[in-house]
Amino acid sequence: MARIKAIIVKEFFHILRDPRSLIIVFIAPVTMIFILGYAFSFDLNRIDAAVVDFSQSDFSRQLVNRFANNRIFVLHFAGGGTSGGNPLRAAEEMLRKEKIKEIIVIPVDFSRRLTVHGQADFGIIIDASNSNTANLVFQYNEMIVLEFIAEMKKAGQLFKLHTKIYFNPEAKSSFFFIPGQIAAILLMISAMLTSVSISKERETGSIALLFISPLKSYEIIIGKTIPYIIVALLDGVLTLMFSRFWFGIPIHGSLLVLLFFAILYIIAGLSLGILISTTAPTQKAAMLAAQILTMLPSYLLSGFIFPIDSLNPVLQAISYAIPATYFLRIIRGVILKGSELKHFLFEGLMLVLLSAILLLAASRKFSRQRKAVQ
Amino acid sequence: MRLRYLIKKELIEMIRQKEMLFLIFVAPVLQIIVLGYVVSTDIRHVPVGIVNLAKGNKAEQIIQRIDQTPLFRVRWVTRQPVDYLSYFKKGTVKSIIIFREALDKKRNLLKYPEVQILMDGVDSNTSLIAAGYFNGIIKNFILNDMGRRGQQLPLQAKVVFRFNPELRSINFMGPGIVGFILTILTIFLTATSLVREKEQQTLDTLLMSRLSALEIYIGKALPSALIGMVDMVIGLFVVVTWFGIPFRGNPLDLALTALVYVTAILSYALLISVFSSTQQQAMFFAWFSLLMFLLLSGFFTPIENIPSFLRILVDINPLRYLMKIIREIFLKGNGITYFWKDLLILSGISVTMVSISLLNFKRFISK
Repeated sequence: MARIKAIIVKEFFHILRDPRSLIIVFIAPVTMIFILGYAFSFDLNRIDAAVVDFSQSDFSRQLVNRFANNRIFVLHFAGGGTSGGNPLRAAEEMLRKEKIKEIIVIPVDFSRRLTVHGQADFGIIIDASNSNTANLVFQYNEMIVLEFIAEMKKAGQLFKLHTKIYFNPEAKSSFFFIPGQIAAILLMISAMLTSVSISKERETGSIALLFISPLKSYEIIIGKTIPYIIVALLDGVLTLMFSRFWFGIPIHGSLLVLLFFAILYIIAGLSLGILISTTAPTQKAAMLAAQILTMLPSYLLSGFIFPIDSLNPVLQAISYAIPATYFLRIIRGVILKGSELKHFLFEGLMLVLLSAILLLAASRKFSRQRKAVQ
Repeated sequence: MRLRYLIKKELIEMIRQKEMLFLIFVAPVLQIIVLGYVVSTDIRHVPVGIVNLAKGNKAEQIIQRIDQTPLFRVRWVTRQPVDYLSYFKKGTVKSIIIFREALDKKRNLLKYPEVQILMDGVDSNTSLIAAGYFNGIIKNFILNDMGRRGQQLPLQAKVVFRFNPELRSINFMGPGIVGFILTILTIFLTATSLVREKEQQTLDTLLMSRLSALEIYIGKALPSALIGMVDMVIGLFVVVTWFGIPFRGNPLDLALTALVYVTAILSYALLISVFSSTQQQAMFFAWFSLLMFLLLSGFFTPIENIPSFLRILVDINPLRYLMKIIREIFLKGNGITYFWKDLLILSGISVTMVSISLLNFKRFISK
């Protein structure tokens, strides 16, 4: 025990002594949560729309009012049929310049068709260059049209359809991204710092000292990793507090459950870091590998931004080998939904399994290298 | 033309190693293809559970429709009420649809079952869009049904999706990815090149030569710019041929914008180079800056949502202008008359960057 403790203390000094690693450990995570919390959002808070009303009738004004009364729509009037020039062309120009997101076009015979035939069409032109935004814009339009129909029919609904959104009633993106970012930060600390720390010893040659010491291989590994578990957990607490108190994201589940899974996840990250560092020849290579093998997949293939269900099958298969995939489900579940231990048995098992595989590979490499030195 | 030799040396240094050749010419193609598949806001295969408590066959017809679209993957259908929350907590389905017999106020059975859609709102974007799709499916079903009996909805919106009629997310992301590749490559190549000479102490040799500071500066920047532009052409080729993204604008407009942009990024990278003492430091700063540029550029998410106190960072971010212009050129075919303002601001940023970086570079050289 005393021997392990000695390495732990030494490792702590390494982290605290280097200002650069201090920045990575404490300042980078908070900055990232901060920027991400504000900058990363798919929310649509405002739809600028141009109205081209050729009809200028009571009915058309009623329809336009429907849009005007919705707090999301901000209407711009491109002039009626009376003003000079072609209002539709002016509106299209606005669409092209990204001044507006959609054009509402009401045809001349709108009112007549409604009163005589009992049926009328009108046009909506949406800027679809950003397909996601276009989709959301489309949904809001549909909603308003349905409301208008219901009002016209007086009878209320044509059919009963209720939508209820759980866990995030205001549908805010930050609920999704911030807990995810905590997972990314834990991985950054556990995988990246560990991999750099061991490669640094290799580069400076000080690893030979560890190799020829009476320490057993597992003692070296435990001693070198425990400080990073502690630092990662500290960072976890720091970022979680930030998410709770700064961004007001409620924590519905048990923190103990979260802690339990966080430790499993950190161990998986450490195992990855150790494996990288036993393989990479230099610090630079280790950093690069840690970025390419851990950070990028954890951001892009784990469901952090883009849902896994929508990925193509090959990439989906890869996502199963990424620890962050499982932990993202867990952290979002526990924080936002109040999920419990029993809901994540599979995820927990997968984390343990991944760690075991990675550690096994790493320790074989490590012992072989140690033998070579001795 | 002493400068020519320096540029030649830089180019040789860059392409001498096999790994560098790979990084410069092969990696970007792979990155674009993989990113093209990953960076997508298309929603597909949303896992749903269905609880059918309605009696008639209407509900079953709707369920069939839901099952047929690639948007949803029906995980289970049951005729018993279930504990909805526990399914959400476990996360196996993102949405549960419940069909019930619907009654109107006079306690008569309505024609259509009552539909209740429960969404797991954690991923708010997916759930909003999925809920919209459900509405669409159910609405279309009822419309068809009414159409068969010669009835119509009194009001219908005919929707046109301008510039991207199939709503393909890759059409939006693809041009952005090209901009991203251009950035990542030039920033890393340039930020490390000067520092490497510092580390290997070959910088002194360079300084002892008769080259002026400006010549060294250009000699360091130009090769990266060249490689960046070549890569951009490769990238454009890949997104247009592999992903079939339409290129509607004028390539010359894009070339001009890219040139102005690359100047800004290169001078920024050289600034990093001046201030870093090791390659590792330079890499870290480059990585961190890249992340900031990317997050605040509107590449993934719209910049309109960024609150005003962060807006200043967005407004001085050169990548933001490139993203906007490249997407406009690609999808809308806009010419310079549309984005001259953005280009002007980008040029302003570029000039400022170059002057700051050149000034620091000169001070550093004269030391």
